[in-house]
Amino acid sequence: MATQAPPAVKKVPEEKPSVIQPMIYKSVVTVYRIFAIFTLYLVLIGVLAYGFVMGFYALSTSWAAPVILSPADDKSLDFTEKLVTSRQTLEDLNVDKKKLEDGIGEMNKHRAALEALEPELRRAITREEQHNQATGPQLLNLDKQKQADILKTQAVMAQVKEVEAAIDKDLAAGLITKGDAATQRAALNQVQSAYTDSKIGEILLTDNILEKTTVDTKSLDVLDKQAELISEIAQLDIAISVAQKQIYEETKQIDRLKAALNTAKQTPYYLSVSGGSAVNFAFVPYDNQTSASIGAAVYDCYLNMVLCRKVGTVKQIFAGEEHAIHPIFRTDIRGFLIQMQLDHAESAKSKTVFLNRKPLFF
Amino acid sequence: MAPVLVWLILFLCLMISLVKYTLALILKWSVPAATVKKDYSFQPTVSVLMPCFNEGKTVYETIESISKSNYPNDRFEVIAQDDCSVDDSYDWMLKAQRDFSNIQVRVGRNTANSGKARTVCNALQHSVAELMISIDSDCIFHPDAIRELAACFSEPKIGSVGGRVGVRNPNDNAITAIQTFIYYAAFQLYKVPENWTRSVGCISGCLFAIRRELLLEIEPKIRSRHWFGIPVNQGEDRFLTHQTLLRGYGTYINNDALCWTTVPSTLPELFKQQLRWKRSIIRDLFYTLRTLPQHVWTLHPNTVLTLVLTPLGALLGLLVVLTMLSGNPMELAGPGPLIGYLAIAAILGWVIRKYSVRETVNNPLAFGAYLAWSVVSSLFLTTLALCTLDSRDWGTRTKEQNREQEATHGDASAASR
Repeated sequence: MATQAPPAVKKVPEEKPSVIQPMIYKSVVTVYRIFAIFTLYLVLIGVLAYGFVMGFYALSTSWAAPVILSPADDKSLDFTEKLVTSRQTLEDLNVDKKKLEDGIGEMNKHRAALEALEPELRRAITREEQHNQATGPQLLNLDKQKQADILKTQAVMAQVKEVEAAIDKDLAAGLITKGDAATQRAALNQVQSAYTDSKIGEILLTDNILEKTTVDTKSLDVLDKQAELISEIAQLDIAISVAQKQIYEETKQIDRLKAALNTAKQTPYYLSVSGGSAVNFAFVPYDNQTSASIGAAVYDCYLNMVLCRKVGTVKQIFAGEEHAIHPIFRTDIRGFLIQMQLDHAESAKSKTVFLNRKPLFF
Repeated sequence: MAPVLVWLILFLCLMISLVKYTLALILKWSVPAATVKKDYSFQPTVSVLMPCFNEGKTVYETIESISKSNYPNDRFEVIAQDDCSVDDSYDWMLKAQRDFSNIQVRVGRNTANSGKARTVCNALQHSVAELMISIDSDCIFHPDAIRELAACFSEPKIGSVGGRVGVRNPNDNAITAIQTFIYYAAFQLYKVPENWTRSVGCISGCLFAIRRELLLEIEPKIRSRHWFGIPVNQGEDRFLTHQTLLRGYGTYINNDALCWTTVPSTLPELFKQQLRWKRSIIRDLFYTLRTLPQHVWTLHPNTVLTLVLTPLGALLGLLVVLTMLSGNPMELAGPGPLIGYLAIAAILGWVIRKYSVRETVNNPLAFGAYLAWSVVSSLFLTTLALCTLDSRDWGTRTKEQNREQEATHGDASAASR
């Protein structure tokens, strides 16, 4: 680069100092510094306190988080719905069971009646068979006699036409009156009619003999009825058996439901939804399980850790597992609920309480 | 209402960052206008202004790297100005002046410790060149750096041009590895959309070129910068960039003008450096807000948004971290953000290995630790910066400094040789 003499140092023209401005600046800076120191100490205290709280809750094994169970919250509503449904189901099952038991009673009665009818029928069939065996051969003999009688009558009937012709001749010759002729013809018709009746009678007798000496349709109908009766009894047996099994199953289900309802009555949600006086609960993480025992003292503290006072005792410990959000770390934790007997109701609204002992001994 | 506003501003900041990074990729690959037209035949006279304070032998290495520049030697000079170092920096400067006779090296010394900004101004007093390049005395420069910077000034509306700052010590430890990623992403992506509109919000002081007349115009403002009467000697690069923009000039980062700096490798050093930067950002935000109408009328909307929302986002980060800590602190330790950071690290690690071998990070997954740093940064740095705006402490390299030497206006000595 070509060497050039550097220009003279340019002096920055200094502004005429103002009297007030430095004072204002000094005041602003002083206020700012006080504010800054205060803020930084506040931040420092905040950071230390935050660290201490995090450490405290990471190590503490006696804290519990009060829980206010409202009948309107989701879990309680869900519980109520299930409770109502279970009770309804129980009632339905009881009604159903009663119906089934009544049905079985009726079916048993019906079955008894059918069973009683069946031997009667059997006896009637036997009786009829015996009667037929006796009367069948007699009727067969009578039928033979009848047939012989008809043959004889048939010979007599051959002469009727000659008699009719003689009547016509006598009438034409004026030997008889028309009235006599009509009377004589009527007598002839009666004879013919008697002959026809006799033939019909013989045929009917044949039918009768057939009925008594062979198995006819009427007998089959009776046997069919008998089979139906037996079938109906068998069906009733099956229906009774099914109904009894159903009653057995429903009885078991009723027992289970009763047991479930009894268990439900032991949950905090039942206590919550069943109303009455305010019930106070607290969530205890499994890590703090050892501190939760019935009768253990419950302490409520300022700033969730200091200046603690006894506010009640542990009344009941519930067995069911619960999930909750850690009050400090905001993580999902597992544990269980306890019921607290609180002398100070406002402690139920504290973020945390401590069981068994004061966390920092004061 | 207030939380809604906070979240809205944060969302805007995030969106702007997201849009900027996405836009950067698009511009980088498909919009030639995003890159300035460089004219290498444009070779103005250049003064490399190098303020120095307690750098020791590093200053010698810096001058050595500049001496290897392929810019015509008769067209540039180095003006090294010592700010009353208490170590042997000044001796090393004199040694460099003797050893690198191929270039002109002027060495000067302040009469009193004055801070970097005023030391640059003092160095300026010895220059008659058309173009000023302010550099950090702990950097190593690429031989093309000056040539690349000068070529950008062929565009008459360009007022200031910066180079890309890489990391000299990427593999010292996880702290330097993280900074390598941050530096690389900032220059190669974040500033690209700002380049497009010639409105880079902050050109790094490591390699900062500015027209002489512009620097002379701004110099009185640099010297008189104060915070309620307390002289401000930090963040001169951000201030210079800001002033360049307000005077209607464009600002630009030429990523082909390379230099490498030694980044802090210990947490205390990093904390002090970041605290200094944070203070500059906050001061700059207050300045912008105080003169917002002027900004809105003068600057590109992108520039105004960048100048307002980016530092505002940094401030609101404090609220976000506080909210997270008071809400679900474990969420911070969750795998989501960590996986995100590791994925970014893997991609950036590969890109750096491919395109900037010198800055290759051996263990890119160290970037995962940035998650912890971002919490510390948001929670403590912002608060501390807000509460120490009156501080004149540079933070680093202040060992054994006699505070009595400090003066509001340190004049340049006539020690140039």
